[in-house]
Amino acid sequence: MKTTANIAFRNLSRQKKRSFLLGGAIAFGVMIVTLINGFAGAFSANVSENFSHLLAGHVFISGAEKNGDKELSVIRDDAALSAAVRQAGIAPKYLTRRSEFSGTLIFEGKKIRTNVAGVELATEDYLRERLVLKEGSWDNAADPRALILSEKIAERLNVEVGDRLLVQMQTVNGQNNVGEFRLAGISYDAGIFGQLLSYAGLEYVNELLGLKSGEYQTMGIMLDSLKSAEPSADKLYAGLSASVSMFARGERDESGAQTPFQALMREQNKEDWEGVRYRLFTINELLSQIEQIVAALDTAAGVILVVLFIIIMVGIANTFSMVMFERIREIGTMRAMGVQRSGVRQMFLFEALFLAIGGAVAGIAAALLVMGGLSLINFGMDSPAFLILKNGHLSFYLPPLRAMGNIAIIALLTLLAVARPAGAAARLEPAVALRTQK
Amino acid sequence: MGIVELTDVKKTYLLGKVEVPAVKGVTFCIEKGDFISIAGPSGSGKTTILNMVGLVDQPSDGEVYIDGKPTSKLKDAELTRLRHETLGFIFQSFNLIPVLNVWENIEFPLLLGRTRVSKAEKDEWIDHLIEEVGLADWRKHKPNELSGGQRQRVAIARALATRPQIVLADEPTANLDSATGEQIIELMKRINRELQTTFIFSTHDAKIVDIADHIIRLKDGLITENLRRGENAEGSCSPAQGAAKPALATEA
Repeated sequence: MKTTANIAFRNLSRQKKRSFLLGGAIAFGVMIVTLINGFAGAFSANVSENFSHLLAGHVFISGAEKNGDKELSVIRDDAALSAAVRQAGIAPKYLTRRSEFSGTLIFEGKKIRTNVAGVELATEDYLRERLVLKEGSWDNAADPRALILSEKIAERLNVEVGDRLLVQMQTVNGQNNVGEFRLAGISYDAGIFGQLLSYAGLEYVNELLGLKSGEYQTMGIMLDSLKSAEPSADKLYAGLSASVSMFARGERDESGAQTPFQALMREQNKEDWEGVRYRLFTINELLSQIEQIVAALDTAAGVILVVLFIIIMVGIANTFSMVMFERIREIGTMRAMGVQRSGVRQMFLFEALFLAIGGAVAGIAAALLVMGGLSLINFGMDSPAFLILKNGHLSFYLPPLRAMGNIAIIALLTLLAVARPAGAAARLEPAVALRTQK
Repeated sequence: MGIVELTDVKKTYLLGKVEVPAVKGVTFCIEKGDFISIAGPSGSGKTTILNMVGLVDQPSDGEVYIDGKPTSKLKDAELTRLRHETLGFIFQSFNLIPVLNVWENIEFPLLLGRTRVSKAEKDEWIDHLIEEVGLADWRKHKPNELSGGQRQRVAIARALATRPQIVLADEPTANLDSATGEQIIELMKRINRELQTTFIFSTHDAKIVDIADHIIRLKDGLITENLRRGENAEGSCSPAQGAAKPALATEA
């Protein structure tokens, strides 16, 4: 076997141009697929990480208060909840406290419906890093009635920094309320997701919602990394359950809920309860549809891999049929000298395997180079695609197992493509091979 | 019994729907150590007989015995093993493996099959063969860097690598100039004497025919002459299967 492998390896160098073209075709296909895999690998982490900064947390706790049929979304006892979080044994980078409402912004007869998040504008440094202002400045955010809108919303309202806007919304008790904001800044549009949120001071949003100072609706817990979201959430849930009343954590069910978070809400609405309860959820549960996008990207990569390689494999199969004919006398000689049929087959399969592995490794190396090059480009935090970027740069993550899986798939497909000509070479009668005139 | 025996061997090829008889029934016996020439014009069946003796082709009828063993019932793997252990081949076009150098081409048959020899013993034997064929300075050269005569020398050394009992040479001098051809013939004759290896040639070359101690002449797939001469004139093959009589029988 070592001898046939050795000859197979050297055979690749006999027709350098042909081997280079075949290997190059494999390398190109693998490079494309690896780039898609690498992009998909980082996509989920980047979007979730960026969202976690916009939403100010990896794990969230929201409070609910129920009295009869009436349910309010509020956390009143921050001291007790903060203490419970500290005692749960996780290591948060920092905690954020937010309230939020959905209302209609009005300016000179123009209206638009949007969500307004009440945040501690003065202290949420991470939000300031992620939300790059196109107009205005964060200094204006010191105004208690400051509002920061995304570029698109500001454009549709035809509003400028310093303008005053009306807002119509409902308090937590369901009463209609009206307020007035002053536009402190306009942020760059952060893609389709970024348009959803406008930011205002927590104190004023609480006032509009009918909440007292010091109260809020959601606590965000920012951790060291996205990876620790689920284990920390599990730990936190166990810890909180010991000291406060918690809703059961939701899982995706058959009720039509699209995300685990929706499932959690549906399940909780069914329950019959009174008093104060807390619900715990993670960024992954909120953004579980991201996983579907990643799965779609991976499926697309898989389809490209198969289609591209079916085309390449047809070329390889035809080339090896020609190779068999070119080397027919050589095959006859080897058979005459005592090489078994299996040896001839092995020689062709080894040659194909070396070609596939060489091409695939070159393809992955090329993809890594391209990834390295692309990740050097700074698109800036104000890029429309900032949610899929990491600190303004494209980032890629190629799981080693995925890379090895791609090499294995290519090797297998190449072996399948060459199996037929290899079999034909092995079946050749030595006398027929020896007397064939090329 | 000889080292090679053919009894009423026939070979018919199918060309499309037409059956073309290449060998029409030949019987002969070859003794160990013979330097035998199978001579005849093109299309007389020389190469076909050589292929059947070399077990790379099967007779349509009759039996080929190698060292007393019938071969018609052997499976492909067994035939391959027998070829490797018993036979060496020299081809008209040399048929060296182009990606291997001189040393590796000669080594190649030793890496096949089940018998394993120590590396030192193998290397010493290959070096000896290279010295024997006069290519000591060319051992690292690839076939395309050698002349025709040198290539045929490599082919001879390769054919002898497994110490076969029989070497089959299909027109070994046909692609060489006459001077080189003579050197090759002399080399093979010397090896025949020294190692008692049986050499079987198919040839047009009168020089080979002249020095052969056993000549089988063919015409249209039949033996026209089966002649022993010199020291081997008597032979030990059974008359029923051996030299002169069957030749007459096939002529009849």
